[in-house]
Amino acid sequence: MTDRRPPARPGYSLGRPVVPGTPFVDPEPPREAGEPPTGRSSLPAELRRARTRRRAEPSHEPAAPPARSTATAPLARDTAQRRAARRRALADPDGAVRAWFADHGWSPFGFQEEVWESYLAGESGLIHAATGTGKTYAAWMGPLIEWLRAAAPAVRTVARLAAPPLRILWVTPLRALAADTEAALAAPVRDLGLPWTVETRTGDTPAGVRSRQRSLLPTALITTPESLSLLLTRDTAAALFAQLECVVVDEWHELMASKRGVQTELALARLRHFRPALRTWGLSATLGNLDAARDTLLGVDPDGAPRPGQLVRGLVPKVIDVDSLVPPTIERFPWSGQIGLALLDQVVAAVDEGGTTLVFTNTRATAELWFQALRRSGAAWADRIGLHHGSIARADRDSVEAGLRGGTLRCVVCTSSLDLGVDFTPVDRVLQIGSPKAVGRLVQRAGRSGHRPGAVSRVTCVPASALELVDIAAARAALEAGAIEARPPVERPLDLLAQHTVSVALGGGFTSDELYHEVRTTHAYRDLPPDEWAWILDFVTRGGQALRAYPDYARVTEIDGVYRVTDSRIALRHRLSIGTIVSESSLTVRYVSGRTLGTIEEGFIARLRPGDRFVFGGRPLEFVRVRDMTAWVRRARGPANAVPRWSGARLTLSPELARAVRDKLDEARRGIYDAPEMREVRPVLELQAAWSRLPATDELLVERTRSRDGHHLFFYPVEGRLVHEGLAALFAYRIAQLAPISFSLAANDYGFELLSPDPAPIEAALEGGLLSADYLFNDIPASLNAAEMARRQFREVARVAGLLFQGYPGSGRSAKQLQASSGLIYDVFARYDPDNLLLRQAEREVLERQLERSRLGRTLVRLSAGRVTLVDVERPTPLAFALIVDRAREQVSSEKLADRVRRMVAPLERAAGPAVPRIATLRSAGWDGPR
Amino acid sequence: MGRPAVSVVPGDLSVTVAGEAVTLIPERAIYWPRVQALIVADLHWGKAATFRAAGVALPPGTTTDDLARLSGALRRTGARQLILLGDLFHARPGREADHTLGAIAAWHARHPALDILLVRGNHDRRAGDPPAELGIEVVDAPHRSGPFVLRHEPAEDPEAYALAGHLHPACIVTGAGRQHARLPCFLLGLRGAVLPAFGSFTGTSVVEPRATDRVFVVAGNAVIAVPA
Repeated sequence: MTDRRPPARPGYSLGRPVVPGTPFVDPEPPREAGEPPTGRSSLPAELRRARTRRRAEPSHEPAAPPARSTATAPLARDTAQRRAARRRALADPDGAVRAWFADHGWSPFGFQEEVWESYLAGESGLIHAATGTGKTYAAWMGPLIEWLRAAAPAVRTVARLAAPPLRILWVTPLRALAADTEAALAAPVRDLGLPWTVETRTGDTPAGVRSRQRSLLPTALITTPESLSLLLTRDTAAALFAQLECVVVDEWHELMASKRGVQTELALARLRHFRPALRTWGLSATLGNLDAARDTLLGVDPDGAPRPGQLVRGLVPKVIDVDSLVPPTIERFPWSGQIGLALLDQVVAAVDEGGTTLVFTNTRATAELWFQALRRSGAAWADRIGLHHGSIARADRDSVEAGLRGGTLRCVVCTSSLDLGVDFTPVDRVLQIGSPKAVGRLVQRAGRSGHRPGAVSRVTCVPASALELVDIAAARAALEAGAIEARPPVERPLDLLAQHTVSVALGGGFTSDELYHEVRTTHAYRDLPPDEWAWILDFVTRGGQALRAYPDYARVTEIDGVYRVTDSRIALRHRLSIGTIVSESSLTVRYVSGRTLGTIEEGFIARLRPGDRFVFGGRPLEFVRVRDMTAWVRRARGPANAVPRWSGARLTLSPELARAVRDKLDEARRGIYDAPEMREVRPVLELQAAWSRLPATDELLVERTRSRDGHHLFFYPVEGRLVHEGLAALFAYRIAQLAPISFSLAANDYGFELLSPDPAPIEAALEGGLLSADYLFNDIPASLNAAEMARRQFREVARVAGLLFQGYPGSGRSAKQLQASSGLIYDVFARYDPDNLLLRQAEREVLERQLERSRLGRTLVRLSAGRVTLVDVERPTPLAFALIVDRAREQVSSEKLADRVRRMVAPLERAAGPAVPRIATLRSAGWDGPR
Repeated sequence: MGRPAVSVVPGDLSVTVAGEAVTLIPERAIYWPRVQALIVADLHWGKAATFRAAGVALPPGTTTDDLARLSGALRRTGARQLILLGDLFHARPGREADHTLGAIAAWHARHPALDILLVRGNHDRRAGDPPAELGIEVVDAPHRSGPFVLRHEPAEDPEAYALAGHLHPACIVTGAGRQHARLPCFLLGLRGAVLPAFGSFTGTSVVEPRATDRVFVVAGNAVIAVPA
């Protein structure tokens, strides 16, 4: 150990620091008594070791230097130093790994060693711990030790060892994390002198590397679910993965509750088909349903029983402090609506206090606003702040991350784009702008701070409206009660199964029985009935079912029982369409001088005229023109007046937090204001109580008022926006059954509004069972159709199932003849193939994921068991105000379209004066068909 | 502004353009009584078939239904002439699909005496002219006919009032209670008119009418004037 250069000391932890006072609890013993038995964890150590030996023998062929050494990927320069390290490592694999930790000033945590042991015993599992606490090396060292142990007897000389072919796949949800992961994984490989290659393959990988990887994959490949699916479409897929030992899925909590998670499940099933002894390890943040997270990752065995696996608890932060900033005087505090940047001075003061600070926002537009404001604040560090969000060009994000790591940036304003990450430097202080909306998010963001020995994790919330003070107080209460959200896995999405089926048809082909049994080993499709599988096969081969095959259609062809794709254009389009992410049509933002700044939605650009100024990536820009799917800009001379909007998913209050909010409102009703935030918001809540009421936990408050806009009904179940959208559509539908009426609907986390030109028969509706949980089976789909919600959800389904083609990358080739909006396609299906299962899936997705049907049902049961209070109010109350200004609205009508339009137009025909223009105009927006 | 005339049936709307009485009908067409001509734009025959040929699973039926709607409009107006303002076929693969051609041949057999004129549009140039056996007269824009000049892409013409399509125009009508509806529309300007797209599997594009334009939306089975 003489010539080893001083190890770089990363800012994140590799293992247990060899200094006292770590802020983390290292669970001793690492397994908690309360954790559910896996059937294995409780085995005596003797038995486990015996099984280790038994399992290790048949399943791990020695990874001795293969004969094909000339064809291997280029090996990093093999120096004398590396050879010396390799010699030591081969002589004593376990000792070398321990020594490597020691060289970096750490020693392995108990949970890390437990994972290595399980891995070496041939087991799979899930590791959960806070970000940056050594999960990566917990999963990584097992494979290294295994190779060293197996290779040692076969290695005659440590020189000129060829890199083994692909052994480890490391799946990461964000391309942005791949580079950090690669660096983290490569460090011990280099220091231990292993002949392994560690490479990345994502959408960002340069063409040269990709083409090299075509012939040979590295020993360890870091990739995304989409790039993994693409590898599976190669006809050589089986050979590519022939030596695969382990798949590690990083940030599994981010993937598991989405279709990307199911995409990963399907890919894992395929890989297990190639390699039955494959081990799978997931890395996750703490969740409310960790067992489900593990079972979803590992899938089921052919008998349908969950595959066994470990659940290993890593390090969790000991203490999290939640506090908040409030305006100095209540008079400056708008009683409702947006506070906006009114708290800027306090935010500046908070950044002044600490060292490096992360300012988290919930949306990219808010991040842009706060970045601008902080930059102009006149603070001493105003020129040392950065902006980080998902639409900013990679290079700019990299330089912000580097600035944070290197200490040149004092403060970074960011979105969830910085929620994840292996190599992430802890900061001194974390601010959260706006309600955290979920307890888990608050924990995760707070975990970015306080890694210093002896420090606590602390997060300071900055309310964006007065009522968000209630959210903050509720979040603290829920956190103290240990209420962390569960993330439900996605069940059986047929659009994705159709996509996967075409992928496998490309990747060497399949027979029906074989693939059916394979996909049934995933958690998502474990109950896939034979008729749905038959439907999928019909869909990809004939379009419709046997008797109603679509003319002139073929995507997958069946020859002698083997399904394959034979048309190369279909193959190309499929490869370009793999994935489940539906993005708004977006344009690249570029300076006319050439530099790329990021991406922006077409809908925003469509509203700009040349010369208009807007802020993007923290820079004031002047819009020049759109050409070649690029928005050309130049640096603006004057101040910008517009901030782009990105239509990313709006966060919704989690069930845990919603319950805590209802409790806080009930406390306020009883005059209990114990939390500091509750004391601040007290005047607003007392105003609400004076004008109307504060709802009790067993009470549904309904307010009725009239304005120039029409007749308003406000309902406050306080169940989160998604449930409220469903309830709004359901209630509007049920009321509209009593008489022809048209509603426009608005919903937020506290309640929803039904607005109509005429008074709604609310009393009759309440008597007639408006809140009843009966007939939901009929009423909910009917109300979804009335509000066109399924039609909108169909966009994602159509995209994943290959009905919407988003075009060829780059310019040159156009797919204009294949452009149609998902709404049009939905209408065609609804009319000409109404039994199409993709339509049912769109409905199911709205119900289960968007509206959280079970939560909707539970809410109705809760509401119908309680009491309803209908209050007539003179003007909108504090609770109503935010709803009344919300312009994003759904509509439900029981009038005939022609009658409805005649009524809309009628007042204008009477009033000759220059009334409000009745034809809304929007240049070039919303085009959804070819000209 | 045109003087209102008597509707042919409820839902139709008669107006005068370029001194000529015409009827806007909710099938998304204009009927020109003096020469007994039905005028439509942007039919995009075989569009779904084009998708199917590219491996996109879309059920059949759109073109067949559009043809039935066209037959219905021809029958109830008693038109003897059909004027197509461009984009008859969507693309070549759909134009060549047996299923599409069969449906079109069956439709044509139902209207043996009909005179059909196609003014070529941008899609027609790529998809190719319709099969000769349909007996469709095909011309390039602009094509003069009575007081009108027939085109696909809207443009002012120094000689006559232009009738065109291409834009697939729609507008958003708003009303009390924050009601709004996006509807296909006819745009009648001082120098030319734009028809809504006839094809059902075609999108719409929201247009910004000029102050002098008259706007008529198609709402279900009625054409309704929208005051500016």
